[in-house]
Amino acid sequence: MRLAKGLMRCLPAALVLLALCGTPAWPQSQTPPVTSGQAAPAPKLDAPVAAKEASPPAPEDMAKGDPGGSLTGTINDVAVSDAKKGLTLGDALNQIGQNKVAINFVWTLIAGFLVMFMQAGFALVETGLCRAKNANHTMMMNFMVYGFGLFAYWVCGFALQMGGSAPVANLGGASPLSSEFTVSLLGKTWGLFGTHGFFLTQGATYDVAVMVLFLFQMVFMDTAATIVTGAVAERWKFAAFAISSMLLAAITYPLFANWAWGGGWLSQLGANFGLGHGYCDFAGSGVVHAVGGLTALAVAMMVGPRLGKYSRNGTPNAIPGHDIVLVLAGCFILAFGWFGFNPGSTLGASGNGALRIGSIAVNTMLAGCTGSFGSVLYMWLRYGKPDASMSGNGLLAGLVAITAPSGFVNTIGAAIIGLLAGVLVCLSVEFFDRVAKVDDPVGAISVHGVNGLWGVISVGLFADGTSNYGGSWNGVQGSVRGLFYGDPGQLIAQLIGVVTLLGFVFTLSFVLNLLVDFLVGQRVSAESELEGLDIPEMGALGYPEFVLKVHRDQAPLGGIGSAVQVES
Amino acid sequence: MKFLGLLLAVFGWLIPVVGLTWTVSSALRLSLCLVGIVMCVVGILGFLNGAYLKHAIWKL
Repeated sequence: MRLAKGLMRCLPAALVLLALCGTPAWPQSQTPPVTSGQAAPAPKLDAPVAAKEASPPAPEDMAKGDPGGSLTGTINDVAVSDAKKGLTLGDALNQIGQNKVAINFVWTLIAGFLVMFMQAGFALVETGLCRAKNANHTMMMNFMVYGFGLFAYWVCGFALQMGGSAPVANLGGASPLSSEFTVSLLGKTWGLFGTHGFFLTQGATYDVAVMVLFLFQMVFMDTAATIVTGAVAERWKFAAFAISSMLLAAITYPLFANWAWGGGWLSQLGANFGLGHGYCDFAGSGVVHAVGGLTALAVAMMVGPRLGKYSRNGTPNAIPGHDIVLVLAGCFILAFGWFGFNPGSTLGASGNGALRIGSIAVNTMLAGCTGSFGSVLYMWLRYGKPDASMSGNGLLAGLVAITAPSGFVNTIGAAIIGLLAGVLVCLSVEFFDRVAKVDDPVGAISVHGVNGLWGVISVGLFADGTSNYGGSWNGVQGSVRGLFYGDPGQLIAQLIGVVTLLGFVFTLSFVLNLLVDFLVGQRVSAESELEGLDIPEMGALGYPEFVLKVHRDQAPLGGIGSAVQVES
Repeated sequence: MKFLGLLLAVFGWLIPVVGLTWTVSSALRLSLCLVGIVMCVVGILGFLNGAYLKHAIWKL
């Protein structure tokens, strides 16, 4: 009874409370306000959008032309999936997604086109630094490395490199690249190579995003392949060059690139062993330049120096190139192409932190600038003149060194990395010339090999922890930090990359080129070398009008004089 | 000499990589990396290049 009386007493109060709760605090016709803790009801994606409210321009206005550009590109240009229904919210959102991917496709393709144009820069630099009697041969190697490399990379190189890479979010997926060959060793899984994408068809890789990725990665591989031609110029058999380039494109480069960029074991050092974010090589100081430079070292050691490079007592002789104008013009082309190399490596300009392309481009400029400063200052102080070819090599050394850290460092770091690279390239050229006695007519081993390794190490020192490419890198959350910013593990990951380049890539390149030497021979005959390789190897002179005829006692001894026909 | 140079380079690579499972100490891992790099450089430039320089073309 007492309980029933209590309930009766509470009933009016409960009724009032219910009435209050049931009454909306705002008029029914208005949209409820959205607070931070309360989500608005999701609009139906297939509901038609009131297109007229967007006030698209009338057809008669469009017919008058649009000189100001204010009428072009409106709601009328959004693709509609169902014409009967008209434009829906789903159509608009799909268009936004496609626009993002389209921006990234165009960005990546244009960056790839810039990198492809670097082949012209390499061709000019290498030909200019060689003697006129080898101009056709050197130019042809730089020209044909594009075709040989591309073919081998299409057949199998790309599949080995990227066939098991994780989906590329900036390019809308590239999902077919999903099969990595792995082994379980020492309690961890080690990714070794991809298995999807042979001939760009196997494994459902006939896909637009895969095509964009292929083009961009192919021109990177080709840069690595063309580095070798400079180091062994003026004495390398064209047949040996052809086979060697294809082996690099099909095997050596893709394997290391898979380990670094394709989801392989080096990139997983962070996730598996707690070493920072794993091996980080933003645009390829290691993957592209050190692979090319160390292969160049292997082949240059095997082929041996040019005739006349060393006297009988082993002292080196300078063999000047025939055209410094070509060399410096080529360096400028390379510096221009590098804006595709580094900023393009975001694989996009929209989403996942890709707006960092501005910082990456400036880092690239700065390191090239301080690189040339470093080499000019070194040469000026040591030899009394600012050497032109070494200033070009200094620029390239700075660019090579900033390639790996460009996406992770600030401008101060970039300037220091470039400056040190500029000095390092001079020291390295002197070392290989005088101590190691490895003849490298263009300084490719020093520019790309040594400074490629320096670039890899510099990530582990200077990465400042401000980059944020979608919140993680190589599967590890957060931003990449080097030793100077508190992460010694990152430096260790980078050093493991360096030792892999020296121990694995060099050895593999050496063994493959030993095979080439066995099959076709690496070096031309002494007669061909003395005559110049243009006629013996290519069948035509690079500069027919350069053939001068002078009397024997007036014949110049070396350099461009080698092209002179001597009459008795 | 050539074979020994290549062998040194390969071991120089394997030591720090396999060493990752031996220890979690950063100092030790760093030391192993430096030892590996020195072994690679000695193998490549000391032994392998040295073997080629013995029969260098300017000495013939």
